[in-house]
Amino acid sequence: MQPELETRATQTDRGWQDHDGFIGPVQPGTGPRSDPRGGFPTGPAIGQRMPDVRCSTEDATPFDLHEHRAGRPLVFIFFRSAVW
Amino acid sequence: MKDFDAAGIAVYALSYDDANALRDFRDAHGITYTLLSDPDSDVIRSFGILNTLIDPDDHPWYGIPYPGAYVVNPQGEITHKFFDNNLAVRAGPEQLLRAEQGQTRLESAAGEAAPEAVQVSVAVDGNSLAPMVQRDLVVRFSVPAGRHVYAKPAPEGAVAVDLILDKNDRLVQRPLARPASVPHTLAGTGESFHVHHDVFELRMPLTVNGAAGGGAAEITFSGEVRWQSCDDEVCDIPTRQRFELTLPVAESPTVALRSKKGAALEPNAMAHFQRMSKRRVSSD
Repeated sequence: MQPELETRATQTDRGWQDHDGFIGPVQPGTGPRSDPRGGFPTGPAIGQRMPDVRCSTEDATPFDLHEHRAGRPLVFIFFRSAVW
Repeated sequence: MKDFDAAGIAVYALSYDDANALRDFRDAHGITYTLLSDPDSDVIRSFGILNTLIDPDDHPWYGIPYPGAYVVNPQGEITHKFFDNNLAVRAGPEQLLRAEQGQTRLESAAGEAAPEAVQVSVAVDGNSLAPMVQRDLVVRFSVPAGRHVYAKPAPEGAVAVDLILDKNDRLVQRPLARPASVPHTLAGTGESFHVHHDVFELRMPLTVNGAAGGGAAEITFSGEVRWQSCDDEVCDIPTRQRFELTLPVAESPTVALRSKKGAALEPNAMAHFQRMSKRRVSSD
């Protein structure tokens, strides 16, 4: 599914304002503000098993989600960046 | 985080940043949950949530996900998802915690005297608002035994429970979450419709933007709650209860590349940003 790009924006003296009223230096519809309008993919559905996640932690140690959670419930957040 | 620890809930946050950038972020902000590095966006792709609105040549932005959160039970099944069209908006900690715990907010109904009439309370779960971080405005109903209120859609001529906020340029609201309703059939006429009984909650996700009055340390907003209460024979006239709330507004999270304060907190951020841009160009 390729979503539609949300481009509604107004330029203000404090930066670019999107349709929700959030103001930032980047124009909505570009780069980190490439918001979808309408439907967009949100991954596996409610009721499905949480997929395997294998990558590395911030300490560069190997990580396996279902092994690490060891039977605990969890919250898993995908965020854009810790740098910008 | 202590509430998640106390509840035995593991918390993970994944981004396309390099591990060393995540380490700097962790140290700057005193983060105690597990940060995960997915520099080639492999995990992001495997979930099918790569932001494909960004051109693969658009560095360093290409590779980010549509951000969101999954809540997973001890059996490993996804029970809730939080995604928003506005990529700046994220689920607040209270929302994630309530989702994991089955949305049993506020005091338990147990031990409360049964009310004579419908009682309604309005409060923000978390008692403050913050830019971009969502918290729920919670309307808690307590309906006397033997009575019901109409769920949406109500039968013609009747009023369903609802929450309507007055216009406020600074408030960003999302659709009202309603609990499951139950079918109810009148003994006399056989007429059937959906209702709510006992104690239940309506939840509306809210956050604040930087528009009119942005930066003020508190926000005042108002609205009304509507309902109509009946037993099997008689309906009360519909009720509208006005409310006004004033809440503290927390500062925006510090962003390393946008302010001197952020730069002081994370002095390596610009170097990470430049490396991310180059790394992606050279790997093409």
